[in-house]
Amino acid sequence: MRAQAGMKLLTHNLLSSHVRGVGPRGFPLRIQATEIRVSPVDFNPDFVTRMIPKMEWTALVEAAESLGHLSELPRQLKEGYEKDEDFLRKVHHVLLEVEVVEGTLQCPESGRLFPISRGIPNMLLSDDEATS
Amino acid sequence: MEPKAAAQLERRHVHEVYESTAAYFSDLQGKAWPRVRQFLLEQKPGSLVADIGCGTGKYLRVNSQVYKLGCDYCGPLVDIAHSRGCEVLVCDNLRLPFRDRSFDAIISIGVIHHFSTAQRRTRAIQEMARVLAPGGQVMIYVWAMEKNHRHFDKQDVLIPWNPALCSQLLAEPAPSGRKPVCGQPRATPDRSPHRLACSVCGYPMYLAKRRESQWSHSLDGSGTPGCCRELAEVRDGDSGFYSILGKSFRSWFFSRSLDECTLKEHVEEAEYVAEEWAPCHPVSVQPSKLHHLDLGDQEPLSKEQDDAIAPGLIQTAEWRLAPGVPRPLPRVPHKDTQNQQQGGCFLSQSTMEHRCRSACPGGTGKQATSQLWKRSSLPPPFISLAAAMSTGASQAEAPDSEAFTRYYHVFREGELSCLVEQHVPELRVLSSINDHGNWCVVAEKKPAMMAR
Repeated sequence: MRAQAGMKLLTHNLLSSHVRGVGPRGFPLRIQATEIRVSPVDFNPDFVTRMIPKMEWTALVEAAESLGHLSELPRQLKEGYEKDEDFLRKVHHVLLEVEVVEGTLQCPESGRLFPISRGIPNMLLSDDEATS
Repeated sequence: MEPKAAAQLERRHVHEVYESTAAYFSDLQGKAWPRVRQFLLEQKPGSLVADIGCGTGKYLRVNSQVYKLGCDYCGPLVDIAHSRGCEVLVCDNLRLPFRDRSFDAIISIGVIHHFSTAQRRTRAIQEMARVLAPGGQVMIYVWAMEKNHRHFDKQDVLIPWNPALCSQLLAEPAPSGRKPVCGQPRATPDRSPHRLACSVCGYPMYLAKRRESQWSHSLDGSGTPGCCRELAEVRDGDSGFYSILGKSFRSWFFSRSLDECTLKEHVEEAEYVAEEWAPCHPVSVQPSKLHHLDLGDQEPLSKEQDDAIAPGLIQTAEWRLAPGVPRPLPRVPHKDTQNQQQGGCFLSQSTMEHRCRSACPGGTGKQATSQLWKRSSLPPPFISLAAAMSTGASQAEAPDSEAFTRYYHVFREGELSCLVEQHVPELRVLSSINDHGNWCVVAEKKPAMMAR
């Protein structure tokens, strides 16, 4: 297994801030990346097709855009995307090949910053900050 | 226990231990539990799977068709998993940083038993249920109170971390350039040497090097615990307990627990031995030799240790001693005396490698044991005698062992599934089995309309 450099955007799409009081408004976290890496990953169209429905599409597009890797991804999912290999490859690239090595993830509601260092996000909160 | 005390206990006896010992985990490939592997392999391609409490990520490499995300509270362990190519992050099981219903499957292997209150254990499961998609399944493994031939006396226990694990690693270059933490032992107030003396026979417990690369699984707590058993009862509801537990007291407990464990009958199954729990036995000591080392009069438990023991705490400790041993300290029930008499400190080299197995069957053991028990505490001179006897023992600097006890809440039969049924309405328990001393529960997230 090749070495992992950083947080993938697929992972980012699952992350939500749990600062006290923010609830669902803690998603999505805003990425501020100081170091990004692009690492090739084998394309598996079936995998991508299955993954798309699990993603929050708008958040994925915004994240890709913030990293400068929007690469013509449509802002809205079109019908029949499962058969569009070109589209699937773009999604594959954004989900799995773009990695944030250094940066921060910001809670959109509270502004709280979570660091990403050496590719690993740290989502720990202090007791005061966390939901009880 | 109030939340703060619970968190403190976990910081001291879970997080700090894992953080300090993480460097030793990197080359110790844990063996994956087959059932967990199977659970992961059964997930549909394209599934999102979370390993909550992933440790060094041994399950994150199972099933390449699914997307696996691991998380752990312990930064150093996460670093190791990351270095192996896993997608990981640091977070708290009690506050998972994921949106609702995001994962198709979740595993929690050897994690929940580290939470020190029922409320926290419940909360951990509730969080996992929250981030599970409807129809998704969660598999939870925790240590069981009931095991094949042995059992814990109490549910809340402190288990010593086996310093023998360090011996090999200290001799090797640190993994990925990281300095072994054990190289800087913490100073103890009594400046005790970094070696354990069996307080029964006084034999120093030499840390022999690992023979084979089979210190396998369960270093991240997921395996069957070996013979080292409870160290002390952690009295629930007494938040002051921990703070007044002095260092020397803990040290005494620790060394006691090691020889306690050798006196119980333990049979480990071949594959699921938690090598980390293999006690530090004196090396190459044969039973026949021990018979000759009769020190004569029975001695009370070490005098110097008496002072270290905080009064008022003793009542919480339960020690099992063989009959005939004087007990200047409080009453200890005689449990499993049969078992005790079959065990012994004098296990041979081969047993040290893998199994905690009685090397003195039947009558011989009985005799030797009762003699051993007489030597309940030994002045330093005896240690050197033992040193002269043992051959080829390698003695390694160990980390301050007393510092590495881990807290566990071991679960009674049905406890985990009841907890889920009563407190996590979104989950329905599908199965609950005892897998080599662990309770394994699989539960499914009910479809949204049924959850309430």
